[in-house]
Amino acid sequence: MDSIRVTVRIAVCAFVIVGCLWGGPSFPPAEEALGAEGIPPDKVADYIHAILEANRTIYTTSIVNRLQEKGLLSATEHWEQDNTLPLPAQFLQHTGRIVAESGRGIRFRLIGLSPIYQRNAPATQFERQALETLRKRPEQPVTGIVTSGKKRYFQAIYADRAVSPVCVSCHNTHPLSPKQDFKLNDVMGAIAITIPLE
Amino acid sequence: MSTTPSAAPRKTRWGLKAKLIVSMLVVGTVPLVIGLGMAFWQGSREIRDVSGESFKALAMEAARKLDLLVAEEIAQTARMANDPAIISELEHRRDTPQHHRGAAVETSDFEAKWAAGEPNTVRSVMENPLSALLREYYTGIHNAPGQLQPQIVRASTKMLFLTDVHGLLVAAIGEKPELRHDRTRWWQGAYHKAVGRLFIEDIHFDKRVNAYVFTISVPVMDQLRYEVVGVLHRVIDAKEFFSPATHAIRFGKTGHVMLIDSNGLVISCPILPTGVPLSDPNLVPLVTPLQPGWVQASSDGHGGRSTSVIGFAPLPETSRATNGSIENGSWHTFVWQASDEIFAPIQHLFTWVTVFGTAGLLLLAGLGYFAASRIVTPVRKLMQAARAIGRGELKTPIDIRSGDELEELAEEFNRMNQQLNAAFAGLTDQVELKTREVQALQQSTDHILDAVSTPIFLIDADEQVRYVNRAARESFGMRLDQSLPMPFFDVLPLDSPARQRLRQEFRGDGTAHAREQTSERKVPRDPLAPAGDQEPSDHRPEFHIGSRLYHYQWFRLPARPGQEPVIGLVLRDTTDESRLHDQLVQAEKSGSLGVLTAGIGHELNNPLFGIIGLGEAIQEEQSLERAKAHARDIVAQGRRMATVIRDFAGVTGKEEGDQTVPVSLEEETDRALAIVQSASDMKNVVVKKLYGGGVRVLARPDQLQQALANLITNAVQAMKGTGTLTLTTAWSDRIGTVTIADSGPGIPKQHLSKIFDPFFTTKGQGEGSGLGLTVARRIIRKFGGELRIESDEGRGTTCIVTLPAPPAASGEDTWTPSASQSESPSARLSS
Repeated sequence: MDSIRVTVRIAVCAFVIVGCLWGGPSFPPAEEALGAEGIPPDKVADYIHAILEANRTIYTTSIVNRLQEKGLLSATEHWEQDNTLPLPAQFLQHTGRIVAESGRGIRFRLIGLSPIYQRNAPATQFERQALETLRKRPEQPVTGIVTSGKKRYFQAIYADRAVSPVCVSCHNTHPLSPKQDFKLNDVMGAIAITIPLE
Repeated sequence: MSTTPSAAPRKTRWGLKAKLIVSMLVVGTVPLVIGLGMAFWQGSREIRDVSGESFKALAMEAARKLDLLVAEEIAQTARMANDPAIISELEHRRDTPQHHRGAAVETSDFEAKWAAGEPNTVRSVMENPLSALLREYYTGIHNAPGQLQPQIVRASTKMLFLTDVHGLLVAAIGEKPELRHDRTRWWQGAYHKAVGRLFIEDIHFDKRVNAYVFTISVPVMDQLRYEVVGVLHRVIDAKEFFSPATHAIRFGKTGHVMLIDSNGLVISCPILPTGVPLSDPNLVPLVTPLQPGWVQASSDGHGGRSTSVIGFAPLPETSRATNGSIENGSWHTFVWQASDEIFAPIQHLFTWVTVFGTAGLLLLAGLGYFAASRIVTPVRKLMQAARAIGRGELKTPIDIRSGDELEELAEEFNRMNQQLNAAFAGLTDQVELKTREVQALQQSTDHILDAVSTPIFLIDADEQVRYVNRAARESFGMRLDQSLPMPFFDVLPLDSPARQRLRQEFRGDGTAHAREQTSERKVPRDPLAPAGDQEPSDHRPEFHIGSRLYHYQWFRLPARPGQEPVIGLVLRDTTDESRLHDQLVQAEKSGSLGVLTAGIGHELNNPLFGIIGLGEAIQEEQSLERAKAHARDIVAQGRRMATVIRDFAGVTGKEEGDQTVPVSLEEETDRALAIVQSASDMKNVVVKKLYGGGVRVLARPDQLQQALANLITNAVQAMKGTGTLTLTTAWSDRIGTVTIADSGPGIPKQHLSKIFDPFFTTKGQGEGSGLGLTVARRIIRKFGGELRIESDEGRGTTCIVTLPAPPAASGEDTWTPSASQSESPSARLSS
């Protein structure tokens, strides 16, 4: 395996060096060349989204639902004080926070047009439009490049459905929830994945 | 109601009245005290529980209110942080390169000027457009319509400033802050690795604003909400901020709500100053759990040590952000009221119940006194009447009209008094009659005793004479008017040995000695035995007074109830009787001697006449042969006389040498047999010897030989020279026995009782002295043995001699000398 990897690396290096010597201005910039060779950001976002969905589904169905059915432990909003389990939405938010704290640049969060807390409202016009789009057409994610000052980011926004009765019941009963008529499998909001492009 | 002292037999400590009153009081007091105590205890518990629950609810409500207050402030700050102008300015500052040299120099130069307070520099920050924007927010211009910012909240904010992503000051209002903040705790907490986090800093003292403050730091996110581009920081005077909310909640005199942090520092309290810790550190863990509740603690946290009921609740949202997260700290409300005040109602109740209870007890005591008097008065009357009955003085009937049992009791008393009076009257007559009877009995006894001619004394245990009869008075010269009691030995002038003896007998019951005397008398007396040592005169119940001899006898009288027993002494003048007795004994002795002399004379006379006759015949006899035959006859007659004399000597001779030695019974029996064979004709007597072998006894050999010889002689004579003589010896435990049995005609029954009497004989005149058995028995008895004769008439007689055996340990050593000793007398006798 190692020998194969080394061989591949040598081959890549050789290709780049040769390309540089030969190509000159007629060749595309290194980034673009890498981008062409590397994984496109929408693909990366897709991978990440798949992992996020899988993690949360496992958490919801195999942990929360089972513990709740057995009457051992339930998921509540103030889980830290109540000494209970975090809600599946909080699970995703907190993993997003941990990922952000790790400093790798990639971030994801839950956003919605009718959030319980205002901090989860769309931050930008792009996000707002994406949410509107996803409400009508949830199958395809909305992707695009956004800027903050001089910084550029790739954003992919995936529709998020009410995967569990817990989601519906919480949003429909929470005093701060502006919309209280969600049904199971409704598009409640979206997962926004942001990848820096620098 | 008063009792006369003379009538009271003893002092009673508690009167019936006092007991009745005390009983009523106890019956009233005990349930009152127990009930009061239990009510107080239960009431206190309930008040505590109710107060605790109320305090908990109040603490929760206050926590919610304060939480909302903080949340509102955070929301307001967050609104500023979301302002697009601020965000774009901070994004711009983020994107501006900071690391080139010129920028660094510019920054350090700016810092120095800022620190020095250079007015232009300060103004460039404090009055730049962003600062103006912050002030606009602060004054509420950007608030939603109708949303007014409370004046107090606004006034409590002491500093409000904005830093960029590097922690450098961007804009500020209020007091002048530092320029750099990237190393402060709140900045790092809010920046949180560019992720951003609400950070509420715990209470602390800020020198700039000169107050205890807490701070709210809100991260400013970029417009994508991707990362932190700056921090908005707000410094708030804790007391000013919270006091309108907390100080308003007061109940009672001391009840209030306060806010503390998880370290026990007071954030806001109407009583304690902000920033001081709770007085009791042990209280902190009790009141700072993350759930609301109430607790009964041993102190109140305000310096008091009394047991307190404290309600508490955390501020949920605020605590979540305290020092970055809930683990790093939390804020709690604390509801407390002084115990005195909480328990005041129950204490008032207690006081009032005590007051009314005391009043009730006083009333009870008064009523008790009244009731007791009603009961006790007739009882006292009865008591006095009973005393009067006891003295026999009750003349008028008792008059009690209470209509209850006491009246019945009084009637019973009256009836009893009548019956007692009647009974007493009859009793007195009977007592007089009995007394006369007793006197008559006593007189008759005295007369009888006086009529008895022997003196009689009655002596008590102290040797005092209690009574003497007339005979005693006359005998001992007592006057009739001699006063009794008097010492016994003054009455009887005895010599000291007699006095001693009488005293001993008197102490030792006086009767034992007399019994001993009579039992001794039952042994038949041998008239020939020396009488000197057999009956010492001082064992006789007799004493001499002057020349008179008195025989006395003690007798015991039954003791009268309550008196010591009295012992009686009867005297009998035996002076004349004794003299007669002596004369009788003398006569008897003389008679015995006469019989003896006659017997001896008779025994000796016949052979003596034979010898004289034969001697005369020899004188005239020519034939030598015949003369020799006569001489032989003379020798035979002489021998017979010698036997008679020997027997006689055996009876009367002095027993010398009582020392016994071990001897062989068989050998002595053989020697005795040899003696008899030499003297008697035993040709037709078959001698059977059934010896046990080696039987030894303690005896003197010569005397034993004589005794055995006497017995064998008797046996041989009884068989009249023809028959079987059986000699048997045996040895058993410490006793040697020899049996001499003949096959003669036996002894007739009427003679069996007399055979041991001296001179009793069944033989013809001259055949025996009648002393053989007597002598034999005396000898055997002397050795400590016994002689028994059994006879079956027509079949023969058996003499059984038992003698003491020497101790087994003595063995053969002692045997040899005793055998050699016994050799010489037997040799002498047999020769």
